[in-house]
Amino acid sequence: MTHHPKERNGGLNRRDFLLRSAMAASAVTGAGGLLAACSSSTTPEQEAATTVVGSTGEVEAELLGPGGLPLARPDKRVELPLWEDPIESGLEPETGGTFTVFNYPDYFYKKLLNEFGKEYGVKVQYTPFDNISSGIQRLASGAVEPDVMEMTPDNLDLAVAGQLIKPINLDYVPNLAKNVWPELVSPFYDVGSHYTVPYTCYATGIAWRNDHVSEDIAAMAQPWDIFWEAEAYAGKTALLSEERETIGMALLRKGHPDINTEDPALIDQAVADLKELYEICNVKIGDLQYQTIPEGRAYLNQAWSGDMIAAYIYYLPKGTPASVLSFWKAEKGQVPVQNDCFSICKTTKKPVLAHHFLNFMLDNGVSYENFVDFNGYQPPINEIDPPALIEEGIVPEHLANCVLTNDDFGPDSLQYMTLTQAGHALWQNGYSDFIAGGS
Amino acid sequence: MYRRWLWPGFALPGIVWLIVLFLVPFYTVLAVALGTVDPILFQAVPIWNPLEWNVGWLNEVIQRLGPGGNLTDVALRTLQYVAIALGLSLLIGYPVAYYIARLAGRTKALLLILVIAPLWINYLMRMLAWVNLLATDGYVNRFLTFTHVLSEPRDWLGGRPSTVILALVYGYLPFLILPLFASLDRIDQSHLEASRDLGASRFSTFLHVTLPLSKPGILGGAVLIALPMFGDYYTPNIVSEAPTTSMIGNQIDFYFHGGPQPTIGAAITVVLSAFLTLIMGYYLWTIHRATREARAS
Repeated sequence: MTHHPKERNGGLNRRDFLLRSAMAASAVTGAGGLLAACSSSTTPEQEAATTVVGSTGEVEAELLGPGGLPLARPDKRVELPLWEDPIESGLEPETGGTFTVFNYPDYFYKKLLNEFGKEYGVKVQYTPFDNISSGIQRLASGAVEPDVMEMTPDNLDLAVAGQLIKPINLDYVPNLAKNVWPELVSPFYDVGSHYTVPYTCYATGIAWRNDHVSEDIAAMAQPWDIFWEAEAYAGKTALLSEERETIGMALLRKGHPDINTEDPALIDQAVADLKELYEICNVKIGDLQYQTIPEGRAYLNQAWSGDMIAAYIYYLPKGTPASVLSFWKAEKGQVPVQNDCFSICKTTKKPVLAHHFLNFMLDNGVSYENFVDFNGYQPPINEIDPPALIEEGIVPEHLANCVLTNDDFGPDSLQYMTLTQAGHALWQNGYSDFIAGGS
Repeated sequence: MYRRWLWPGFALPGIVWLIVLFLVPFYTVLAVALGTVDPILFQAVPIWNPLEWNVGWLNEVIQRLGPGGNLTDVALRTLQYVAIALGLSLLIGYPVAYYIARLAGRTKALLLILVIAPLWINYLMRMLAWVNLLATDGYVNRFLTFTHVLSEPRDWLGGRPSTVILALVYGYLPFLILPLFASLDRIDQSHLEASRDLGASRFSTFLHVTLPLSKPGILGGAVLIALPMFGDYYTPNIVSEAPTTSMIGNQIDFYFHGGPQPTIGAAITVVLSAFLTLIMGYYLWTIHRATREARAS
């Protein structure tokens, strides 16, 4: 008989967890002290990372995220505290009933989910959420009780501090070490992969229809400037409907690489720059670029790398050649990259099976099929060889820059990460100002 | 005793309905707007006791909606869109309701069904259908260019205020026609005949008898469609997607959709509700006055 992890001895409730974290943090300065309250070990990087340097170059006090957790950055690794022990090794997966996957709509191949359900004798239910923030809110409110859910690194602290996701016993997930890119086996935001395994990865850039857009965007000194020169594409130009991506893009355009800044002056300037786009091109916002660009409903769009692969595989109308699709992304260190993850929810009634699901998801064959036959977003799997994708015609040669490699990640990469509550509010109010549309 | 409570008892379901589906949710929104936020999960923590209410969020929203605030323009734009959409709806809806009520004869029931028919399809589905119809190569452009109304296809979905306003009119028009029809249908024919017998022309009879008597219907229909229009956010999302055509409902949706300030979404809702209460109050006062005058005459 298996025990639900919540029933195990030694677990902390949220109040205890925060109290012990705070006490330890007050006893020992910085992340190392905080983690000492809850975790068995810290890495040298974590112990060294007691200060952060802000966008102004000045040394600032360490910024803390939800629950007082230290904020991870690509160059600042954080091992998250365990709020309870992971399940024991060697348990048999639960069978029967329903297994619920909580994820973005249409972001996991139903056929593969059914195969998983068939293998373990469960009915797999797919429950979608609008975005990760609202998904976490629904989980926290008890409105849903999923077994596993999609997670993003910038929301991970919140989910851990709120004890919404459970620690993972990696003995059940051998495919993580075996198949996944080294940079993401024990990523900077979750050293030791205590709560997440990676699912997909992507970079943010510009997608356009080169049969409508005459500029050679990739050859521009600052390609992001194209949005500020898009008078000819008014009504056909759009930015991602994501506050971090949109404001972050305006920061990068002006040469500010700290896309996790909490400097109000920088955010205000970025928002002011974005508001110029009303007059220039009556810019739109949305996340359907994988469909609107191939269909010609949009000509120029801020986009994720996976969008153009999905556009090529699924949305390009018959008779429209793939050569009309173009994508640009900046060089490493200037391009925002991100990876989605999966976590086990605290609400799971099938914790062992949930571990098996994570392992199933990282299987070479499963992840490849999910990528090329369904969602177009690349999994960070060693066996998926970028040149082979092009040779096999899965990705057209001129969209080769949509494919990422392990080298795109690392300490010198840019990744949108968790902000402090005040910083998050600053970005949110800035974006509110932008979408209000001006006079 | 039994008889004393029998007839008032029929109001009980309505009262329960009002409490459960209006007063409790509204008080919850108020408690959220005047509450706090969980610092970890960013969930709204309502404060139920009015003595402990935190007015900080509400003050911030009022400032942002006030002169020079960054939400002033979106609030004024919403007011403008709703006013124009309401005017257009009345221009279209009144003649339709008038025809059905007074001139349709045997086809009255059929026409009413046709007015209601679009409501059998989900609002979002109808709007999404319009996205296809209004596409550059959609049927609307094809028809307008074929008939030479337009020389070239128009980018209806390129973030145009006119498209948002027309979509609002389309979406809410049936809700205006129905109360208007009910109001016009109830007008006693003898009043109109008396007017004509006294020498008034058809137009004069309409202007001095029909129109004033249908005022409760006009106001009722106007309130019925204006209230949801003020809170609408999906119509501009679907047919425009441009910030320049966003409405105040988009801000409420944005703040409720995650992030550390759901209280701001609730506070905007409270301010909007206060404004709509004024409109509702005017409607109720007009109805009360009309009823009083009718009794006096």
